[in-house]
Amino acid sequence: MSRRSFLRGCAAFGGVTALAASLAPLRELGDYTNTEQFLQKYYKELTPSDMTKVITRIEGEVERQYGIRPHVRDLKPMDGVEFVYALNLTRCIGCRKCVHACVKENNQSRSPEIQYIRVLKMPHGSMDVEKGNHNYDSKQVPEKGFFYMPIQCQQCKNPPCVKVCPVNATWQEKDGITVIDYDWCIGCRYCEAACPYWARRFNFTKPQIPKDKINPDMSYLGNRPRKQGVMEKCHFCIQRTRVGKYPACLEACPVGARKFGNILDPNSEVSYILREKRVFIQLKEEMGTSPRFFYYFDK
Amino acid sequence: MAKLDPSAQKKSDHTANYWLGGLTAVFFSLTIFFAFNSKPHVAAQPEIPLVDKKFLDTSPWRQTYADLVKAKEDLSDYDCYACHDKAKPPRIRYDTNQKIIIPKEHANIEMSHGTHERNNICYNCHNEQNLNTLQVRDGNVVKFDNIPQLCGSCHGPTLRDWEAGAHGRTSGYWDRQLGDINRLSCANCHNPHAPDIPTREAAPGPHYLHEASSHEPSKSHR
Repeated sequence: MSRRSFLRGCAAFGGVTALAASLAPLRELGDYTNTEQFLQKYYKELTPSDMTKVITRIEGEVERQYGIRPHVRDLKPMDGVEFVYALNLTRCIGCRKCVHACVKENNQSRSPEIQYIRVLKMPHGSMDVEKGNHNYDSKQVPEKGFFYMPIQCQQCKNPPCVKVCPVNATWQEKDGITVIDYDWCIGCRYCEAACPYWARRFNFTKPQIPKDKINPDMSYLGNRPRKQGVMEKCHFCIQRTRVGKYPACLEACPVGARKFGNILDPNSEVSYILREKRVFIQLKEEMGTSPRFFYYFDK
Repeated sequence: MAKLDPSAQKKSDHTANYWLGGLTAVFFSLTIFFAFNSKPHVAAQPEIPLVDKKFLDTSPWRQTYADLVKAKEDLSDYDCYACHDKAKPPRIRYDTNQKIIIPKEHANIEMSHGTHERNNICYNCHNEQNLNTLQVRDGNVVKFDNIPQLCGSCHGPTLRDWEAGAHGRTSGYWDRQLGDINRLSCANCHNPHAPDIPTREAAPGPHYLHEASSHEPSKSHR
């Protein structure tokens, strides 16, 4: 063997090894995606049998990661239903119980922490959200001279987040809930920038959820565990509300400040509230987003 | 075409060999470098403690007589005539400031109903003739497990809201065809003797991946 061919051989071997080594991080990709998911069709193009396969895949993934077999469903909007949320600012005491009930129900990452609801502590006499503080750390709430305004996804009739999505991974459903397909989202965060309510959250790292804290009642567009690099947000607890139940934040509210229901039903609580109560605002009404989330007062 | 100079040829061979040798060395060192660094680097994240269980508790704050009946609990505390005399309704005593004097047998009662605690006459709600029942001011007797009727006799608009589902806590089903709504009663949240909702501790707020930036006025996440 000549010296030249030996050196050539060494160089070629070294090059191939280096290339292989440099591609090694791709092995980790299995955690984020797999062929089946990569080739999955768009949500709206999935046939029922495709959906069954997808759900089986998701159930398997969750079981592998968290050691618990979930019950994943793909719930469709109900006919003649349009959801509306009403929040009583007179009653809210700012205890943040809704925030944590939401985290528990919707399998949000505990570390880094993702919360869909922010409670603004606002000084009396102003509705200027710029004066609000959501980092308050009060030993006792409510504090004198302040009122509390929880903000979450407002489920706009005219959602700016949907308009900016370059891949149509988020859209508004018939019952008014704006949903995200976590398998279709590319994580560009345009929607986060477009939302005037800071309602959307991004998974900067892999979400960490303790195995015993997983809520096994899941839905495809709702609370199934997310991956790193996708957006998520409040979806009015789609896995509960589309089977007729109240959202988790409503049930957790110790003062009954949160009201939810079908606005198309004249006998629902929200219809009563919008008819009878001093419904004060749709937050940032001037943006023209027309939220389905209303704030009202008792007195 | 110029004839090749053999010495120049030899010189370029040497240069090529040096190059190849150098490249091989570089590739080998890269191989070693990649082999030891192929795991993605994960930045250290701040430890975020799980939220205290007490903030996840969604049970009602208070139990009412109706709850006790439903749970088949001991109701002997509710038999007023174990101590009181049926023929003689107890007298209510006031001090010089018109504040009610609470007898030591009822020391657990905190009287603070109405602005300036003005609703301080026990028989505004309790039935003088039969202490085991309640009484609306129009004379209607109300049982202990039907409080909304009593409270609503003064707080009419609130009763109307409650009946419509707009006041008070609910759980269960918003769609009445699919399931029942569970509606808490007045005394599940309000202490009838001191109905103001007491203040309580707030659950922890948001934690951030990194320290809060300057435009977020906080020192609270920790």
